[in-house]
Amino acid sequence: MHAGIIFFLVILGSVLFHIFTPWYWTDIASNWGSMDDTITLTFWIGGGVFVAVCLFMVYCVFKFSYKEGRKAEYKPEDKKLERILTWATTLGVAALLAPGLIVWNQYVNVPKNALEIDVMAWQWGWQYRLPGEDGKLGTTKIVNINDNNPFGINLEDSNGKDDVMIQSDVINLKNNRPVKILLRSVDVLHNWYVPQFRAKMDAVPGVVTYYWFEPNKVGKYEVLCAEYCGVGHYAMRGGVIVQSEQDYENWLQGQQTFSELIVKQKKIELNETKLVKK
Amino acid sequence: MSEDFKDSKAIQAQSSETISSGAGSSSPDLDYVRPAEVGDQDLYHGHSFITKWVFCQDAKVIGVQYFCLATFTGIIGLILSWLMRLQLGYPEAAGFMTAEHYYQFVTMHGMIMVVYFLTALFLGGFGNYLIPLMVGARDMVFPYLNMVSFWMFFVAVGVLLASFFVPGGPTGSGWTLYPPQAILEGTPGSGMGIILMCVSLILFVAGFTMGGLNYLITVLQARTRGMTLMRMPLTVWGIFTATVLAMLAFPALLVGSLMMMLDKLLGTSFFMPTILKAGEVLEYGGGSPILFQHLFWFFGHPEVYIVALPAFGIISDLISVHSRKNIFGYRMMVWAIVIIGALSFFVWAHHMYVSGMNPWFGFFFATTTLIIAVPTAMKVYNWILTLWRGNIRMNTVMLWCLGFIVTFVNGGITGIFLGNVSVDVPLSDTYFVIAHFHMVMGIAPLMVIMGAVYHWFPLVTGKFLSEKLGKWHFWLTFLGAYSIYFPMHYLGFIGVPRRYFEMYDSPYMTSAVGMNEFISTAAFIVGAAQFILIYNIIKSLKIGKAAGKNPWQANSLEWLTPTVPPEHGNWGDRLPVVHRWAYDYSVPGAKEDFITQTTPPSEVTDSKVEKT
Amino acid sequence: MSDPKIEGYEFKPGFSGMAADTASDQTMFKGVHWGKAMMWIFLLSDTFIFSCFLISYMKGRGSTPVEWPNPSEVFGLHVFGVDVPLLLIAIMTFVLITSSGTMALAVKYGYEKNRKMCGWLILATAIGGLTFVGMQAFEWSKLIHEGVRPWENPFGAPQFGSFFFMITGFHGTHVSIGVIFLFIYAYKTFAGHYDEQKRGWFTSIRGDYVEIEILGLYWHFVDLVWVFIFAFFYLW
Repeated sequence: MHAGIIFFLVILGSVLFHIFTPWYWTDIASNWGSMDDTITLTFWIGGGVFVAVCLFMVYCVFKFSYKEGRKAEYKPEDKKLERILTWATTLGVAALLAPGLIVWNQYVNVPKNALEIDVMAWQWGWQYRLPGEDGKLGTTKIVNINDNNPFGINLEDSNGKDDVMIQSDVINLKNNRPVKILLRSVDVLHNWYVPQFRAKMDAVPGVVTYYWFEPNKVGKYEVLCAEYCGVGHYAMRGGVIVQSEQDYENWLQGQQTFSELIVKQKKIELNETKLVKK
Repeated sequence: MSEDFKDSKAIQAQSSETISSGAGSSSPDLDYVRPAEVGDQDLYHGHSFITKWVFCQDAKVIGVQYFCLATFTGIIGLILSWLMRLQLGYPEAAGFMTAEHYYQFVTMHGMIMVVYFLTALFLGGFGNYLIPLMVGARDMVFPYLNMVSFWMFFVAVGVLLASFFVPGGPTGSGWTLYPPQAILEGTPGSGMGIILMCVSLILFVAGFTMGGLNYLITVLQARTRGMTLMRMPLTVWGIFTATVLAMLAFPALLVGSLMMMLDKLLGTSFFMPTILKAGEVLEYGGGSPILFQHLFWFFGHPEVYIVALPAFGIISDLISVHSRKNIFGYRMMVWAIVIIGALSFFVWAHHMYVSGMNPWFGFFFATTTLIIAVPTAMKVYNWILTLWRGNIRMNTVMLWCLGFIVTFVNGGITGIFLGNVSVDVPLSDTYFVIAHFHMVMGIAPLMVIMGAVYHWFPLVTGKFLSEKLGKWHFWLTFLGAYSIYFPMHYLGFIGVPRRYFEMYDSPYMTSAVGMNEFISTAAFIVGAAQFILIYNIIKSLKIGKAAGKNPWQANSLEWLTPTVPPEHGNWGDRLPVVHRWAYDYSVPGAKEDFITQTTPPSEVTDSKVEKT
Repeated sequence: MSDPKIEGYEFKPGFSGMAADTASDQTMFKGVHWGKAMMWIFLLSDTFIFSCFLISYMKGRGSTPVEWPNPSEVFGLHVFGVDVPLLLIAIMTFVLITSSGTMALAVKYGYEKNRKMCGWLILATAIGGLTFVGMQAFEWSKLIHEGVRPWENPFGAPQFGSFFFMITGFHGTHVSIGVIFLFIYAYKTFAGHYDEQKRGWFTSIRGDYVEIEILGLYWHFVDLVWVFIFAFFYLW
């Protein structure tokens, strides 16, 4: 009896905890509200099953606890009941799966107007690269990376010349403009994850992975690494600043492109050689 | 050596000859069961301390050895989890712990608990003890191989624990051991630690293969007369199917471990692409890190069911015995176990939705994953329908069963969140995942283990465990564990990522500080509560109530041995003959509320028993 | 093969027979020796190991950015002033498959309790296996001499060396273990352990000629795997 009451309280407590929890989603700041919706749907169906199964169990504990002399029912099978339960479950599962797949379809198909951003990860930090006026990112190679070419852009690729380089772990994004995050890593696995955007994907060395989202709320957000990448994993943070169009353009003006960097470096080298000559 | 055998007379090869044994083999009456196909097994009876208790060939002793060693490693895993929780809940009290330590503890805790504790305990421990008894065999079919299996496991554990004492310490690459970081500087234990881990896993797989062959052949080829597959207790079905999975899934782990070891030792580049580290390009190139993830999860997902299926089987038997009612829908239960086992080989990449693999795989793996929910749900329905109109003994064993149902349903449903690809995206790599898998393959199987210990302890030792201590143990464990993992899901909703040594002061994480303190406190209590069991075992061995034969009034064969606890050879002079399934409880018209598997039909002619 | 006779049990042909065997008590594979059933299941497990190796090889070969070397050049042999592609490997394959034949004959003579013939044929199989391992050692040393290493390869992708040494090495280990057991079994056959059902050294199981068939299963499996390795490494 006591056991039944405690189990009942556990179920009740779970439901109440869910309703009154102060810990829940951060306010969403991207287009992936549909993910939240599928989670809510799963909560309703799954939570309903959980409560129903557990309450049925508690009922059995109350009703059928041991009594000397009473005989349990002898019924090895009930084909009809089993069939009904199978189909009902299948239906429930299909109802969960279908919306999930629809949202996933949106997730893997990037809109055409998305701005491509190269997110480069290493142990333990981030930096970003935006396409220049041509709207195309230059190709890269890890072996090209050095102090003069922090992103490893292929020098013969003309698309790379006007790429905007942001050698900081904070990136600015334009509000309501879809972005396609192109992830690459120079050493181990990483994952560029902003909880408010909901979306995430691993950065894998050797390949370029992608995902997309559309920020829709101006503000500052924290980037977390969500794939274990060694001792510094927990400290591998970055930032995102979502801005209105005007602010974004102003910020973009202040960033330097790859060719600017090359010119600057050449000037420094020239100065150095001059100094040596003097 | 031949004097070690009781009967030194030549035994016919068990190949094609037929030997009839037992009376009534030719009578066409009601109780007719076909004669034995193969001769009696000749067993090696140890007579020194070493051959009886150390290098013993008796499956029951080997089972207890497995149980004890797995429990020992499990306690180490438990202590590691305490240290982790100390860091997460009360970092100021864990000043001695660096990030390196933390990640090493996380890794070793995960690997120990999944492989060296749960797998070894269910298959090595319960499998060895129960399979021969439940199918009516004298022993496992290859007792010598079985012994070697345990000692391989012993060496594997030794190598694993040795990694705590090598320079650099044990590997800290997470229990998934993902390359490239597992073997690169920047991850603790990337030198000797990861090598010893791979060696230990390879030894474990080799040892397990020896044991697994035994379990499979014993079930397939060494059942007693009348024991058809569809009369076996579900415990045997669960362990059998899990062993099949293990035999087919462990190869992927073996290959993955071997290749990673070569990457580390010989500088091959199976999993290593071009890597830039500290400004220098390493001498690796052209490999694929995702290949390792595929190999790992091709092992890793069946591994979940290697733990879960024996738990399913055992819980079915416990619920049935203690509800005095047949398991509802036995055939569906068997098929569900088999279907879950088969499907588990087609779902592995649901661990990799955001791993950077081709995203189109997501559609396939989400579908297969959710299909697996259907047979699993059927099993849950059948458990609670077994309780329905039963006559439920509310003893400690039943409490563990009920606790299992609550935690398993909870964890199963969060599994539907994570299996459904787009729902997984925001939740993967967060604390939601940790809460999910601890609930479903940590706590739920633990409930089964505990229930099984309280259930079969009288068989193994002849003494009951104390009910009073057992109830304290249960409530502390169940309520404590539930309050650890249920709120932890909500940390995942906030977005707290896994494997963070410190949370820093991100706004959504500071709100969770209080919860982390609460969870840690609960974890300390739950961990400590497990020592009640150890105390209970020691106390009951000394002054426990004597159990006698078949104390739970169960039907299955393990309770029907001539001596309790069973001796080597299990059955005395004659093997049992089976006439029915293991679930004839409360049959209308029968004198008692149970009819053992060995009861011939002629003795229960008045009852309305269904033919099985 | 005809079904064994089992008292009180009637064999049915085809699928219904399989279903009946499965549904029956005691054994699922009627009349099959425990050790034989064990070997089959072990080989199933081993198949998964080799499949994992070969699938990893295909993935590795597909994803490496450097070009894969041409096998007929790498494995070519220069004899009598002529370049013969795949010569050594053809001989190796021939030897191994021949040894499978002698093994099958050994099993046949074993069941006929023809101790001498059986023993000689096992010995022939062992020598065939030894020849195979020896030629593999020759090929390895040739490749190593040419500069191929597990971590590098002058002919192209370094993964070629990695996978080649790992997979042929793993297979070679299988062959070597088989050879050791073949020698032991040859000794046991000649010594008459199977005729007098002498207990094994370690396992204390009574000797029986079925053990030769069990080892034969393993040996045929090792040959079969070699055919796949041959196809994937040398012909692709």
